[in-house]
Amino acid sequence: MGTENFSLDELQQWMQGMLIYHVPVESNFGTNAGAPVEDIVNASQRLSAVSHLDIYRYSYIARLRSCMQSQFSALTYALGNELFQLFADQYLDTYPSESYSLNTLGQHFSSFLEETRPDKEAKESWPDFMIELAGFEYTLSVIFDEYAIDTNTAATIDTPDNMLVLHPVFHLLSHRFPICNYYLEFSQGKEPELPFPEESYCAVIRLNYKLGLFSIRAAQYFFLKRMQETHSFEKAKTMLINEKGIPQTEFDRVWPEWKMNFIASGFFIEQPGT
Amino acid sequence: MPSVSNYRQQIANMTNPGLGLGLRSKHFNYILEHNPPVNWFEAISENFMDSGGRPHYVLRQVAEKYPVVLHGVSLSIGSTDALNKEYLSKLKQLAAEVNPLWVSDHLCWTGVNSLNAHDLLPVVLNEVSLKHICDRIKEVQDYMERPMVFENPSTYLTFKQSTIAEYDFLRYMVEETGCGLLLDVNNVYVSGFNNDFDPVHYIRQLPYESIVQMHLAGHQHCGTHIIDTHDRQVAQDVWNLFALAWELTGGVATLLEWDGNIPDFETCHEELLKAKQYMNHNFQAAPITVQQEYEEEAVSNPVNFLVNEIRL
Repeated sequence: MGTENFSLDELQQWMQGMLIYHVPVESNFGTNAGAPVEDIVNASQRLSAVSHLDIYRYSYIARLRSCMQSQFSALTYALGNELFQLFADQYLDTYPSESYSLNTLGQHFSSFLEETRPDKEAKESWPDFMIELAGFEYTLSVIFDEYAIDTNTAATIDTPDNMLVLHPVFHLLSHRFPICNYYLEFSQGKEPELPFPEESYCAVIRLNYKLGLFSIRAAQYFFLKRMQETHSFEKAKTMLINEKGIPQTEFDRVWPEWKMNFIASGFFIEQPGT
Repeated sequence: MPSVSNYRQQIANMTNPGLGLGLRSKHFNYILEHNPPVNWFEAISENFMDSGGRPHYVLRQVAEKYPVVLHGVSLSIGSTDALNKEYLSKLKQLAAEVNPLWVSDHLCWTGVNSLNAHDLLPVVLNEVSLKHICDRIKEVQDYMERPMVFENPSTYLTFKQSTIAEYDFLRYMVEETGCGLLLDVNNVYVSGFNNDFDPVHYIRQLPYESIVQMHLAGHQHCGTHIIDTHDRQVAQDVWNLFALAWELTGGVATLLEWDGNIPDFETCHEELLKAKQYMNHNFQAAPITVQQEYEEEAVSNPVNFLVNEIRL
């Protein structure tokens, strides 16, 4: 192909291919894109045409790899730098960014890890943990930037139960591994070990634009989930009693403690307009 | 719809707010708590336009107290893809919210086929690309209802197909569209070293009357080339070029970018204030110094390309 007649579009396609798809470059040989680098890029006093192009190629993968490590810091620790980099590089090859925002760079990473899990023949549990952890970390970044104004009247212990409303940035997550505890330990500078499978539940709240993570029990998760769906304390309570077979007396016994902890953690605001 | 001459007039009327700093998340708390005596801040548009959380909240607070400029990295004015209308809509919305002094981006492209390399890729500089880019600038300006300001990027290669010097390309852009220019002095130095041109000559050829802002930043010298890392103090050669640019422009808004190994706010501010020493400094053409200590493995960091730092 005569590169002197490359259209603007062909030139950009060529260069992008060199960056994103890692087309092999060998000096003076035609590339997969059909054109020798020397026919397109000028050499300078100090660098060959290929070396000039390599600056962009190296920076592309190094910059995006670094962004992936920032977005998945706990996963990087869990996998180790080398293995994380391997997965991240493959991911970036498979799912090059389609967004102007780097915040969405890792959007498909969890599903990519599922698609490419190395134990397809005989399933092991550690890939499940890594996949969940990746999904969890991406979810946190989405919640961190969620549209909402964090200026609501926090509920107090004196707020009547039927006036309790969940905070506008409040999310409930369930996992097959103790993901939240693992993440919290990592965030605190500890060195958590790979956990065994264990069903876990967690609440994520954004207060004053900071995230709070709370491990909660299965019954609490069920109750709060129903509150989220029905926007009603009474309905959530009834569903917990009826569907989980918890006696009314037992609920009445634990509720004051739950309420105190939920309010201390900022889960509830007062019903607007009260 | 405003005409090219109207945009040109708006650029000519832009006043100099003084010395500014890039708004970085590491400094959010310090700025909100101390109200430091910085003349203005420059915010990376993409770090705020999709944020419904803390970054957006902080920018609104800062914009209430300081003049703000929006500086983008994803307009991709040189791309052969269609302009991203969703992006433009969000940029316009953000501009309406924070009322920036001006909105800027780069003479570059960031991807084609709807992909994004998250880099400021070099444009081929010839008549075809000039027309293509000018048409797009006009479209963007009419949509944004304001003149845009474009920065010369740091570049690491030049194309065989390029037939126009970058300074002439920028001049033609200005003449054809009425847009303004953001002269990144460090980028001139970096590109000059990498692509064998004289940065002093480059700066002397620019249309000074259209330059509304200058950028300063540190770079990393790798011996055979220089990478625009924004991770250290401004190099002496760049200060010298700044003195020349200040003299030629008569003094315009000047901003320090620091995007890697970001020190505390006071250190960034001190570095910015060094600019005062080079205003009215009478530029003396001096040979470009040869740095003796080189580093390897540098990654270009043309802007604050970062994902959100989640706060627990």
